[in-house]
Amino acid sequence: MESVNPYYPIPTKIKKIIPETSNITTFVLDGMPVQFEAGQFAELTVPGMGEAPFTPSSSPYADDLEFTIMEVGRVTKALFNLKEGDVVGVRGPFGKPYPLKDFKGKEIYIVGGGVGFAPLRSLFLALVHDIKDYKKIYIRYGARTPGDIVYKKLIPEWQKIDGVDILLTVDVGDESWKGRVGVVTVILDEIPVRMDAAPTIVCGPPLMMKFVTQRLVEAGFKHSNIYLSMEKNMSCGIGKCNHCRVGKFFVCKDGPVLTWEDVKDIEEPFL
Amino acid sequence: MKHYLLPSDNLENFIAKLEEDGSVFYPVLEDNNAHFVKHEKEKTFEPNFGKIRAAENIKHFLFPSRDVVAKFPKDVAGEVKKQYLFGVKNCDLRGIDVYDKIFLNWEPTDPVYKKRRENTLIVSADCPEPEDCCFCTLVGLNPYGESICDINFTQVSSGLLFEVFSKHGEEVVAKASNLFKEATQDNKKERETIRKNAIKKLSKINSKSFKEDIPERVEKADKKVKNNARKDCVECFACLHICPTCYCFLLSDYKRGKDVERVRTWDACYYSAYARVGGGANPRGKLDERFWNRFECKFNYFYQYEQMYACSGCGRCFRGCSGKIDIREILWNL
Repeated sequence: MESVNPYYPIPTKIKKIIPETSNITTFVLDGMPVQFEAGQFAELTVPGMGEAPFTPSSSPYADDLEFTIMEVGRVTKALFNLKEGDVVGVRGPFGKPYPLKDFKGKEIYIVGGGVGFAPLRSLFLALVHDIKDYKKIYIRYGARTPGDIVYKKLIPEWQKIDGVDILLTVDVGDESWKGRVGVVTVILDEIPVRMDAAPTIVCGPPLMMKFVTQRLVEAGFKHSNIYLSMEKNMSCGIGKCNHCRVGKFFVCKDGPVLTWEDVKDIEEPFL
Repeated sequence: MKHYLLPSDNLENFIAKLEEDGSVFYPVLEDNNAHFVKHEKEKTFEPNFGKIRAAENIKHFLFPSRDVVAKFPKDVAGEVKKQYLFGVKNCDLRGIDVYDKIFLNWEPTDPVYKKRRENTLIVSADCPEPEDCCFCTLVGLNPYGESICDINFTQVSSGLLFEVFSKHGEEVVAKASNLFKEATQDNKKERETIRKNAIKKLSKINSKSFKEDIPERVEKADKKVKNNARKDCVECFACLHICPTCYCFLLSDYKRGKDVERVRTWDACYYSAYARVGGGANPRGKLDERFWNRFECKFNYFYQYEQMYACSGCGRCFRGCSGKIDIREILWNL
């Protein structure tokens, strides 16, 4: 092919497989086949089965590229059948990164739901890499049950970092769960940041995105400061196939993170 | 622009000259429809340039319905042969214009399309006899090639009056210079009459223009308008792949022994599963939403990107429509 074929995935070995929950797993790849910035995504190919878009869950500064993925469709099912040492393909990076320059000196309010916490981890790690540049990082994360929480071993470590404040909730608790119970909007009742200045970043299932955005808008966050990680059907990843278009935006090219200012006039933007 | 006259008797020799280094395709008339066929020496040479655009669109010459775009693990480029598209109408050039913008101008360039485009010479032809389905003038076009093509010709009484637009076109004419004559003022006058008549016919077919703020009107259309627009749609999908400006596609992977081929196939936003995600959510689950989304794509979003409608005015969509939905009517009534 010509020097750069944007449809060609770079073959990369799976270095490690880390089960997170009953249906969510982290795949650690061998090295960084694509250099990304927090917020960008990549297309992951299961040879012969096809590809699907995922935002890395690892830090852009890490040595190995990681994806935390939920088994939900045809491609992810095939991915979950692979073993350490098997080869996958990676294309990217695609889309626009978070405008981290604009976040400097500010409180950052991150709200995640379910496996939506995976791409937020990448952002979080990028922020932590330069933590002195930010006033404080808040994470609000909701999962269905304690068993559905991802990065269980890592969260206690993150909580120890100076300048980081993490609060978790589950929809339904169990005997071992000592934390908050209720959907993620419950822990948004008390928002500790300056809502007129802080950027807030949201990623999760469509319904959670809808209600969290509603809550953040009511609370007074600037529409242009509400960053929403959009999940859309994607094929090419380079703004040509038209699958991911929402309104005039190509989620693969203009996103995958759009602001509420961008999408507020679109009917049901999270569907 | 340079003008030349190809006398009618020299046309077949010119086609034969082109064929020396590539395949030549031109329209022939069959069942009162034009269809592009490959020139073959053994077959009768009966091209037709008077009829409107071919029944099928010509996008498959540059963007085949099934195309290998990558191989895995080792990428190997496919062979692309030189081709000449002879007698393309301007509505189909609008389709190529849209494709050029998306696949060549929008970053990143699509290497597969680029290679085909570079190996294709486009000779367009005036469209002297517009029919009731034609509305190129409503979407900003004339019934003759003015850009995108390498050469445009008008069929005048003594032959084909060539107007050359590109270096590539100039080279092709130079290679067969012995077949051409100098164009006369009379040839050009005849062309102007043919063109005036064609435009006059189009004004008669389409008595109203589109309003200038079509993009805004499409964007602001209410549910009643959208529902009314699609009420006769029976989801036969005839309008989709026949459209010369529709460019949606899907990538799928196929095992070929130890290797994998990544194949691009035509797709369409009108299919119900088109935008559905792995988890099941579907932003355009309803027919109303999908029908209007196609309008938004062509008459609003593409206009916002390129200040041009992603519609050629070819009328194939409503010629093929089981419900006889005429998009002109929908746009006129906005």
